[in-house]
Amino acid sequence: MAGATTGLIAIYSFVGYFDDPYMLVVFTTAVVVTSSIGDSFCSIVMNIPGAGGAAATMIDGFPMSRKGEAARALSAAISTSWINGLIWGVLVFLFLPWYTGIVVYFGTVEMFSFLIFAMTCIVFVSSRYWFRGLLALALGVGVGLIGMDPSTAAARATFGWDYLEAGIQIIPIMAGLLAFPELVSAFRMKSEKITLDREQIKSQLVQGVKDTWRYKWDGLRGGFIGGFVGLIPGIGGAIADWFAYSQTVAMASKTGEKFGNGNVRGIIGCEGANNAQKATSYVPTVLFGIPGAPFEVIVMGLLMYVGLELGTPSVLADQHFFDMLLSSYMWSLLIILPLSYAFIKYAVYITNLPYQVYFWPILGSLIWASVQYTGLIEDYMMLGMCCVAGLLLKYIKFSRVSFLIGFILSPRIETLYIQFTTFGYGWKELLLQPLPATFLILAVLATIWGLFYNKARIEFV
Amino acid sequence: MKRLILSLAISIGIMGTAIADYTFIVPQKPGQGTTIWAGIVAKELEKHLGERIVIRTLPGARDIPGFNKYHNELRTNDKTVMVSHGGNGVSFLQESVDYNYADYESIGLMNLNIIAGKRIGNDMSHPVFPAGSGMVPEAFAMTMLLCGPDKTMNQYIDCFKENVTWVKGMSGSDRRLAFRRGDLTGTRENPATYQKHVESDVNAELWFHHGLLDPKTGTHTDDPNFPGYQMEILFEQRWGVKPSGEFYEAYKLVKSFRDGLQKAIWVNKGNPNKAKLVKALQDMANDPESMAIIEAKNGKYDWYIGAAGDEMRDTLMTFITETALKNLVKFNKEALGLASIYKEQLVK
Repeated sequence: MAGATTGLIAIYSFVGYFDDPYMLVVFTTAVVVTSSIGDSFCSIVMNIPGAGGAAATMIDGFPMSRKGEAARALSAAISTSWINGLIWGVLVFLFLPWYTGIVVYFGTVEMFSFLIFAMTCIVFVSSRYWFRGLLALALGVGVGLIGMDPSTAAARATFGWDYLEAGIQIIPIMAGLLAFPELVSAFRMKSEKITLDREQIKSQLVQGVKDTWRYKWDGLRGGFIGGFVGLIPGIGGAIADWFAYSQTVAMASKTGEKFGNGNVRGIIGCEGANNAQKATSYVPTVLFGIPGAPFEVIVMGLLMYVGLELGTPSVLADQHFFDMLLSSYMWSLLIILPLSYAFIKYAVYITNLPYQVYFWPILGSLIWASVQYTGLIEDYMMLGMCCVAGLLLKYIKFSRVSFLIGFILSPRIETLYIQFTTFGYGWKELLLQPLPATFLILAVLATIWGLFYNKARIEFV
Repeated sequence: MKRLILSLAISIGIMGTAIADYTFIVPQKPGQGTTIWAGIVAKELEKHLGERIVIRTLPGARDIPGFNKYHNELRTNDKTVMVSHGGNGVSFLQESVDYNYADYESIGLMNLNIIAGKRIGNDMSHPVFPAGSGMVPEAFAMTMLLCGPDKTMNQYIDCFKENVTWVKGMSGSDRRLAFRRGDLTGTRENPATYQKHVESDVNAELWFHHGLLDPKTGTHTDDPNFPGYQMEILFEQRWGVKPSGEFYEAYKLVKSFRDGLQKAIWVNKGNPNKAKLVKALQDMANDPESMAIIEAKNGKYDWYIGAAGDEMRDTLMTFITETALKNLVKFNKEALGLASIYKEQLVK
């Protein structure tokens, strides 16, 4: 659940031991690549989001595990993520300096219209219970506004609690709302023991690869969405996976396929976005020193420690830096693939165990990840509150996923709206500029289609 | 349920804090400017201190909660050291905070400068600039440059509103991208990030900077790294007189607290380890190898160590007058829309 960001933060404790700055480039890149692929394990096997974006993988991944198809789901997730990582890694790191113009093309109007489009797709296209989803989304947006008013720099809806002035952190929200209720449910249920023998696991691994090939266009579309989102600073990685998932659901409507009950296509759709987004977020980070995703802030900070300031002429002229970036990315991809596949059989054995056995380590890891913000008692209190809220929302069948998306996007929507109005933009810019107009037209079409024609909505609330 | 509670208790117990010789409290998240600065300085300082330093980040809104925590709970620990930045200085003037520089002793501080850049060829009589509570000195400076001398506070506020587009809600990434695109015609950076985001951009150039505060005289001098672009120099060139008056005093107050305390290391008053820390910092400042590493990140700026740091703090305190503070708050509220408060106790 901690994802690449927490993994990278952990490097701070021993960053002083890197005498060769380029070794830190290798190390950080390896953490990013491996965490992007590894976060599928938690989502699929344990129903806990390995990272913000990997929460989308849970929707179809965990039901597959419950049906005894964990190895197939993991194989499909890893192979899709890996292939897109390879494609987008090559495209990014081989041609990095040529992307300058693309990044600069995205301003306030383009980002604002893209967010409208992405949210529309997620709510209207992907959710069967779209009205409840919309309510949950609005609630998530409201909770996301807790913190500091970006216009006045004053505390907003914090009830006098200083800790809330910086807003509620994403990790306790994910832990409390998504992971903890599932953990408690599984703990209380009688364990559904699923026994898989070696041959079954092997055949599922092969089946997962075949699935990746069969649904290659879903995976590649997800990769394209992830690659696009990663290029735009400030959009955030989590949206890519959800957006890609919603697109997969939309494209599958003709066949009347059901999602949310263990459809491998759902996994392939969102996992395609995962590594692609990580790779392309390096473009604005390296070229301009503008982080393309939250984890890139940590990458920049770490590299600054050893004298590599991303975005500066000295780094841009440093061919050795680019060589190390490319080679470490590629080597990480090459190494993680066999490791992941080797690990699958052990991960699958987790599903053979009674849930009570691994309940405690998972609970410990949830707590650990949630208290990395300050490590103070407030972190524990916040986690506790999120857990209670998660149990309550689950009990009343309120869409926790829509809530999470609203929460994640809330500050971004607000600040973009403020910028949009302060710059003096209006309908003219939205409707007459090609890219924003395209996004808005697509948003309207997605709404109409999602409301009246989509028959393949996801079976989850 | 018992097992659940037991598990929680064990998990919490495992999360013990690392044992270190010294702990530097930084009120930011990992990866942010002062955390990185503290990490670099701590690494160099360890060599001269002979003891281990661990960075503990305590992030929160506008970096205030971590400093408050230090003030209220942590400062009595003789091995706990506070690392603050210029934003904390500005918050001290205009927000409700618990911390108070008068209660600490300086180990050392770096008196830095903030540099404003502009797009080449843009009409800077109507600048489009990113907003934020950390940008207050830039708002004052551009108002003076645009509107000239001999105006009342209300006239300056009206002039700002008429001429400046103050774009709120921009993160660092947003403003840097918007400046590169030309959506913003002006921006500001610290000396290190200025090189990266303005100097390296062929379409951008230096606009103004705030100068460096001399704690002995209480006046600002030109920055040798960016000579000739101090606000006071540009103002005199444009308007034929030196800047003065109530508005200028408020500007001087806020820029001094931000830039004069841009990177500062504090211990509680009476801390028995102060002399040891000051000596180690002095040794570090005399070590060319250590300084080369620190200057690579921040540029070549003076350190004020031990008593000199206290002198800087004391000079800053003399800038706090009732009029300057009230005018700062008035401009913040009426021109910038910030929820600033007038802190009467500071004047006392």
